[in-house]
Amino acid sequence: MVQTEAAKAPTNVDVLVIDDEESVRESCRHTLDLEGYRTHLAPDGLGGLKLAEETRPRVAVVDLRMPGLSGIEVLERLPAIDARIVPVVITGFGTVDNAVASMKLGAFEFITKPFEPAQLVDAVRRGVARSLGREHAMATAERASAAATAARAPEEPDVILKGLEALSEGYALGLTASNLVEELRQLEAEAKHHAETLGQIKKREKVIGDLVADLRFVDAIIQKHDFRKNALIQILLDIQSKKHWLPRHALMWVSRRLNVPLSRIYEIANFYEAFSLTPQGAHLIQVCLGTACHVRGGPLLLKQVSAVLGIGAGQTDPKGIFTLKSVNCLGCCALAPVVTVDGRYYGNPDLRQLRELFQACEAEVATEVAAS
Amino acid sequence: MTKLNSAKDLAALRERLTTTHKRPDRCVAVCSGTGCLATKAQVCADAFATELQRQGLAGEVELRRTGCYGFCERGPVVVIQPEDVTYLGVKASDAAEIVESTLNQHQVVERLLFKDDHGTRLQHLNDIPFYKYQTRLLLDANTRIDPKRIDDYVANGGYSALSKALFEMKPEEVLAVIKHANLRGRGGGGFPAGTKWETTRKAPGDIKYVLVNADEGDPGAYMDRSLLEGNPHSILEGLIIGAYTIGACEGFIYVRQEYPLAVTNTLIALDQAREYGLLGRNILGSGFDFDVTVHRGAGAFVSGESSALMTAIEGRVGQPRPKYIHTSVKGLFDRPSNLNNVETWANVPLIVNRGSDWFRSMGTENSKGTKIFSLVGKVVNTGLVEVPMGITLRDIVYKIGGGIRGNKKFKAVQTGGPSGGFLPESLLDLPVDFDDLWNNGSMMGSGGMIVLDEDNCMVDSARFYIDFLAHEGCGVCVPCREGLRQSLHILNNIVAGKGREGDIELLEELCDLLTNASRCALGTSASFPVMAALKHYRDEFEAHIRDKRCPARVCADLIQYEIDQQKCVGCPLCAKSCPTKAIHGTPKKPYSIEQSLCIKCGACHQVCPAKVQAVLKVPALAPRATTVS
Repeated sequence: MVQTEAAKAPTNVDVLVIDDEESVRESCRHTLDLEGYRTHLAPDGLGGLKLAEETRPRVAVVDLRMPGLSGIEVLERLPAIDARIVPVVITGFGTVDNAVASMKLGAFEFITKPFEPAQLVDAVRRGVARSLGREHAMATAERASAAATAARAPEEPDVILKGLEALSEGYALGLTASNLVEELRQLEAEAKHHAETLGQIKKREKVIGDLVADLRFVDAIIQKHDFRKNALIQILLDIQSKKHWLPRHALMWVSRRLNVPLSRIYEIANFYEAFSLTPQGAHLIQVCLGTACHVRGGPLLLKQVSAVLGIGAGQTDPKGIFTLKSVNCLGCCALAPVVTVDGRYYGNPDLRQLRELFQACEAEVATEVAAS
Repeated sequence: MTKLNSAKDLAALRERLTTTHKRPDRCVAVCSGTGCLATKAQVCADAFATELQRQGLAGEVELRRTGCYGFCERGPVVVIQPEDVTYLGVKASDAAEIVESTLNQHQVVERLLFKDDHGTRLQHLNDIPFYKYQTRLLLDANTRIDPKRIDDYVANGGYSALSKALFEMKPEEVLAVIKHANLRGRGGGGFPAGTKWETTRKAPGDIKYVLVNADEGDPGAYMDRSLLEGNPHSILEGLIIGAYTIGACEGFIYVRQEYPLAVTNTLIALDQAREYGLLGRNILGSGFDFDVTVHRGAGAFVSGESSALMTAIEGRVGQPRPKYIHTSVKGLFDRPSNLNNVETWANVPLIVNRGSDWFRSMGTENSKGTKIFSLVGKVVNTGLVEVPMGITLRDIVYKIGGGIRGNKKFKAVQTGGPSGGFLPESLLDLPVDFDDLWNNGSMMGSGGMIVLDEDNCMVDSARFYIDFLAHEGCGVCVPCREGLRQSLHILNNIVAGKGREGDIELLEELCDLLTNASRCALGTSASFPVMAALKHYRDEFEAHIRDKRCPARVCADLIQYEIDQQKCVGCPLCAKSCPTKAIHGTPKKPYSIEQSLCIKCGACHQVCPAKVQAVLKVPALAPRATTVS
């Protein structure tokens, strides 16, 4: 493996090797030392765990079959010492069962003997990266839960916080499958992405804070509907009416809390007109195209509004000020053609009146932006 | 509020509300339905509140914010009671004058009264032709009730039918009355409600449901909205009576989320009914338990279909299922479920109170009672009208609707929404009831009645419905999905001037496919608008296809806007209104339109003063490609 000097691991990264065969231990030390890791060796499980306590390594290379404490048992106990330790398993018995058992216990990589030094170096390097990532996720989760704790009334039962705490508990129990970490990371990425598309690049903590606030809001809605699966559409409507769209993290949370597959939630969100899966503009303009409006020039009105706003039906302008929608019937047929601006009805409006309304909307957004 | 534990308690409450706790006789009723709210009824009502206070009448005259009066176009409607002086198009600035002259000095404010064709000012609500020819059984209460106050409903005799049903009648007796009244479903199909109730009542199972269909997805109809907004208790009372008759324990009201005021008022009504013990455990001490949940629809036309609606309440995508077993036997959560439309339920308390013979005295042989229509489109007076079954279309359009606006020529009436058809002038003397409409290629539907004049293109109108259905269909069954898509494709071509010989025949074939092979009523009736348009207005289709000409000058690709250089007086109105700046010129000289910039939005045509009429719609020189909107 060709590596430049700079790419080598920093010297303060600890790696622990637990193997009963001295030759294996030594060859590992040799390989890892060359890469710049600080290597610690232990000949058996108990010694290994003790050494792990003392040195807090990033990666523990564990042999599965050892006298005394087996490798599996070591894996079971490692998370209790430090959730950040990433185990890499080496074994002479590369069976599927072994692999599955150790992966279940959180083994990050599974190497069968004999192995090339490069294989070991690669596994350890990636293990270290994973460990750093975990540390970060845990810190973020802690900060977010601390922020969440600060924000809520103390007596309120807090499921979200529990969810976040489950992240660290997951490690304590050795559950590295840690769907939660992965989920949180995805949610975070989503939120960040949307924040960016909205042109509001925020601090990482702020994004997570908002996310937690969102999830708390969603959770309150789910609770209001008693966690009933058949209230799914009602729950989505409540989220939509408050947030004006359905962010992915909100849907993921609904999916988790109601134990409904995410695909079914998306099926519903796509089927019904009321839901939007993209962020909406600050002001919603609806042009009714019901029959009564159609015969009295609704389509012409839509063309005019569309030309004035510079966006078509179903679109949001790049600045995020307006979303224009055409609707099938607003039930206000006697006043046809009807336009609504943020839920207020205007019967047969002339273009000048609408232009004034739109300008007022733009001015409002501009003031808000200036204020923030 | 104290809980009412018997029929006696309810009667005592009503007695109290109409005697000792009676509210002032004199009242300013401001219509606060969605239509009038759009014309600023709220501001108007607030102004009345201030004025009554200022002129020292607050204790003597009540301000009541009522449900919809029906005459939405001329809103806000304000009625002074008990004199029954009706003012139309009232502004907040008129409040001071009305309070001063009408309430203090008993003088009528002439300029706000309705003016008939001869210029006579009409004072009373029922003098106005729009109301004169109606029979307002259901809508009448809207004018006397604040929908947010259950006491108003009770004082007006509300829940007496429920009390009668619970304490004086057995469920079988109620059922017999409904069956004898021959109350037919107001939602569209016209299926006898009594028969439906009986099926659910007899269906095996302990748990049964009753449901209100308020998913008024039919474009151009809004009577369910007005009933729910204006008098939610009447529907609730009907529903409770239905539940008692059928033996249901739970009810659902499925209402569109596009109707926020209807949702709000319904929820308030449910809460108030619960507090009075008219809903929940042991209703009025009768031992009957029943409660109701509101479910908001999320905007899908097809979810108004019975099986789809029930699927949606179960929290799934609202798609219809094949109905080998009816929903009345196996519906919501696979249990016997009875679904009726808002208007159907609202009729129930009236029938129970006044008897089936009274109900049968109105209407035609097989269609009894009244029906509410939303009379909209090109008539002079638009709004909600309630008429006895059997009235002719001509009476509705000309007597109530006041004829076609702007002295234009009548072209068609469309009833039944996307499942109905167009009725031409030759059928204007048709009595309006379930069967006559059906036999003439249309249907009652939920009550949309859209009047078209010579400026409406029938090809465009047919295309409108197919476009609507193609987007609103659930897409599960192939005949409906593909049949609609292909029909839409052909119609799009025709309106764009790209129609070919044979298109009409192909459309007819597709209509046949839709009608015979689709899974639910959305598909089987989807062809009605097209078939009716083809039957009565075939020449318009032919003009589009053969001559690339739109006789009504509607289809954008077949027309262009031009300014008559002789007529144009050189005012800058059109140039100012043009959103794409396609109109050039200098003031005082004739303007002209640059065709390449024109998007044919018609803004210039609308602003050009009626006296001038210099902006003309003329046939396009050469058909352009379809513009992508």
